[in-house]
Amino acid sequence: MSEKNEKKEVELLSAREERRRKREEKKNRVKVKQGKLAKRDAMVGLAFISPWIIGACVFLLYPMGASFWYSLNNIRQTPLGKKYTFLGQGNYTEILFRDADFPLEIIDYITSTLLSVPIIVVFALIIAMMLNQNIKAKGFFRSIFFLPVIIVSGPILGMLTAEGAGSITAIDTQSITQAISNFLPRALATPVSDLFTNMITILWYSGVQILIFLSALQKIDRSMYEAAKIDGGSGWECFWKITLPTIKPMILLNCVYTIIAISNNDQNTIIGLIQSSMFSGIKEKGYGYASAMAWMYSLIVLLIVGIFAVIFLAKKDVYERQVKKMKKAMRKEISTRKKIERRSARNAKKIQKARQKRGYKSYTGSGDY
Amino acid sequence: MKKKIVSLLLTAAMVAGLATGCGGGPGGTGNSAPDVSGETEEVVINGITYHKATDITEDKIELTYFHFDQKETVEYLAERFMEIYPNIKVHVIYNQVGESSPGAGDGYNDVLAAMVGDKKTPDVIMSSDCDFALSNMLYKDISPWYNTDPETKNLADTVNDCGLGCFETNGRFAVPVKFFPTAMLVDLNVLETLNLKAPKRDWTWSEMIQLIKDATQKGTDGMQYYGIGVYNRLDSYYGIAAAQTIKGEFGFNGDSFDLATWAVGEQEFSDLKLAGYAAPATGTLEMEEWMGDFDGWCGASGHVALFSEAFWTFQGTWNTDAYKEQYDLDIVPYVVPAVSAEDATKDHHAIATIDFGGVTTSCKYPREAYELLKFMSYGVDGWKTRIEAYNNKELVNASGLALKYDVMPCPITKDQEVWDAYTDMYCEGMDDTHKGYWKEYFASVMQPIPFGWTSIAGYWNFCDGYFNKIGIHDLVDKGSKKAADYADEGTRQANSYHAEAMLDYFGPDKYDILTDEQIAKYEAMIIEQNE
Repeated sequence: MSEKNEKKEVELLSAREERRRKREEKKNRVKVKQGKLAKRDAMVGLAFISPWIIGACVFLLYPMGASFWYSLNNIRQTPLGKKYTFLGQGNYTEILFRDADFPLEIIDYITSTLLSVPIIVVFALIIAMMLNQNIKAKGFFRSIFFLPVIIVSGPILGMLTAEGAGSITAIDTQSITQAISNFLPRALATPVSDLFTNMITILWYSGVQILIFLSALQKIDRSMYEAAKIDGGSGWECFWKITLPTIKPMILLNCVYTIIAISNNDQNTIIGLIQSSMFSGIKEKGYGYASAMAWMYSLIVLLIVGIFAVIFLAKKDVYERQVKKMKKAMRKEISTRKKIERRSARNAKKIQKARQKRGYKSYTGSGDY
Repeated sequence: MKKKIVSLLLTAAMVAGLATGCGGGPGGTGNSAPDVSGETEEVVINGITYHKATDITEDKIELTYFHFDQKETVEYLAERFMEIYPNIKVHVIYNQVGESSPGAGDGYNDVLAAMVGDKKTPDVIMSSDCDFALSNMLYKDISPWYNTDPETKNLADTVNDCGLGCFETNGRFAVPVKFFPTAMLVDLNVLETLNLKAPKRDWTWSEMIQLIKDATQKGTDGMQYYGIGVYNRLDSYYGIAAAQTIKGEFGFNGDSFDLATWAVGEQEFSDLKLAGYAAPATGTLEMEEWMGDFDGWCGASGHVALFSEAFWTFQGTWNTDAYKEQYDLDIVPYVVPAVSAEDATKDHHAIATIDFGGVTTSCKYPREAYELLKFMSYGVDGWKTRIEAYNNKELVNASGLALKYDVMPCPITKDQEVWDAYTDMYCEGMDDTHKGYWKEYFASVMQPIPFGWTSIAGYWNFCDGYFNKIGIHDLVDKGSKKAADYADEGTRQANSYHAEAMLDYFGPDKYDILTDEQIAKYEAMIIEQNE
């Protein structure tokens, strides 16, 4: 006990010393005027990043601010200019409580996204691992899986889906849909059955994810596998103990990428809903209404991204968790000790004062007070 | 150093690009005559004498026409217009109505709205629904030109009598561009096979219903005969045919709605369908069972007596050589019958497909744009050119079909010269009996009432926010609800939507042409309907 405490005390003292030293350094630092060269370097740097800064301001910040302002108004785009009528939260309440389609579509979207993202990511991981094997015509197969990303975009995807190319013909999707509708509530049955109907489309979304996984898999140090094999680790164990923990950041990246891809593509009915509201002649609708829809939708997308982030960020590996736990316990112990010290000092002061004030004498054991 | 220069140049180029992109179009106020003087000079092109307006600008100007009419026909018209007025360059932009991305709304409106947003608003437009055009202030009030133009006095009666395109105001915002009268198309061969008499020309609604019922029977060939093949809904027909005071769908009398009349027609139509008097629809199991083809069409069965098909189906399908050779049909047109016997004996209101158009609010040359609009829609000169194009079999659409067979509209002008030429062109190849049927029919269709979404403010909002949201047609058609159940609430809702739209479009925030009394009236309507 004493040895451990001593060690901690030493650590504490050294940390305190380090902080003091830094404070001193900061105080003593002399401000040196920037040289001409440094200034020029800074300017060049600024010039290089200025397209991005301007782009972000013009194409990101300004549209975001404008669309938020739009969402608080009813807007009509007339040939003579935009006509604004301030509504406050009116568009939002209208969408939430009176719009027939948006809330239902959002529920469908959330369910289908939560279901299809894991499927896409797991599929991409399996394919990436297969493509990472030492097989013939590796490059050809990699191109095959990436082709849909290049070819199947926008209108082509729409046409293929319309022709029924989105589902696997060998699967009787109609029977599956019917069976699902019989025992699941509508809100859940529709996205689950959509999953089967659009199985091919979902798998087509995996091209980029496969590439990301492939690059992550190739970065894993082979010596780790060799060491594991020497210790008798099976392929299955290697996957769970080495592959998966190493590529975990990429899983999150792929989840985020997939969510964004699903949320922004041409086939997304909510995007269609927002677009039709934007140009609708209906009094309540228009740019303002569509902007409010877009903001609500983006918050929901963010929420879904957040859910996946929490799942994949929270679980750090065993070593990191232990270090964190130790540090936390140490901090707690130090603060408890400080608290005790402070309390003792206060009590000592109190007793001292009381003695001086009342002439208090401590009991000597003589029987007289 | 090179890097720095390149980066600076890139930055400068981007900033310049942004500045250019954000810049507005050239300004200018234009110069247009305040009315139509009626003064013209004669110009002869291809043997047609045109009456060129002399009170329009002689400056070189450009006008844009945005439309969903037949593409090649409009291009032909635009060319001729430019020949008559060499100083005016017309840019034609075509976009099909209903063309849109998946899940999105109407592609035509999307494209138009995008053009407005880009400050590239066309000068003259066709509009697919009036709520879109009015809520976005696309239509300009063209009454100064329309009211002083002698040609507008000679249009189909209801255009001016019922104020079609005026939207219950004193202004004139839109004019009929494309006019397709409705017809009950009767297959005389079917009636003959079934030993049924052809109806009289001034038949009534109840006689038509009786004929539908009589013609529904099992044929001697073993195949079922049906009384009616449905395209347009009969409740839409009934809603206008019920009374001469009705000026729009859902019992609109020019002021307010009354869905009680519609409910009668809706229920009758639903009862007919549920009782099996209507031929199966394409893409149903019933159709597969009846014609042996899931994608079959009742119009090709030769076993349907009456059709509520669109006007263009006759010329575009039944009158084509391929169809005449393959099917033994003898289709003749009858006017949609009036409900009362008295109305049936004279020309009466009937619903029609009318697509409207107008000059836009940002147009710099409204007088000239009005002349272009007239040429493309009801103008006599324009119609002479159209008929010339329809007569020319070498002018074909993208599919190689002569323009006459591609959704050809009817003239909405009453000009006799135009009508004679049109009838001759339309009835080409017909015998005198059939020509007589069509002549008689054409003479009785000049009291058209358009569908609500093109002519009544707030109509589409009502459909979107109430009628279609509930799915009333489906519920009544399936027999799970009675149309009368919705008559009272529907009337309240329709009136409320209409009043709200009138205040929104024509109130102080937009066109600002309502009087205080009118504003008070519509406000009272909203309060009354919401109580």
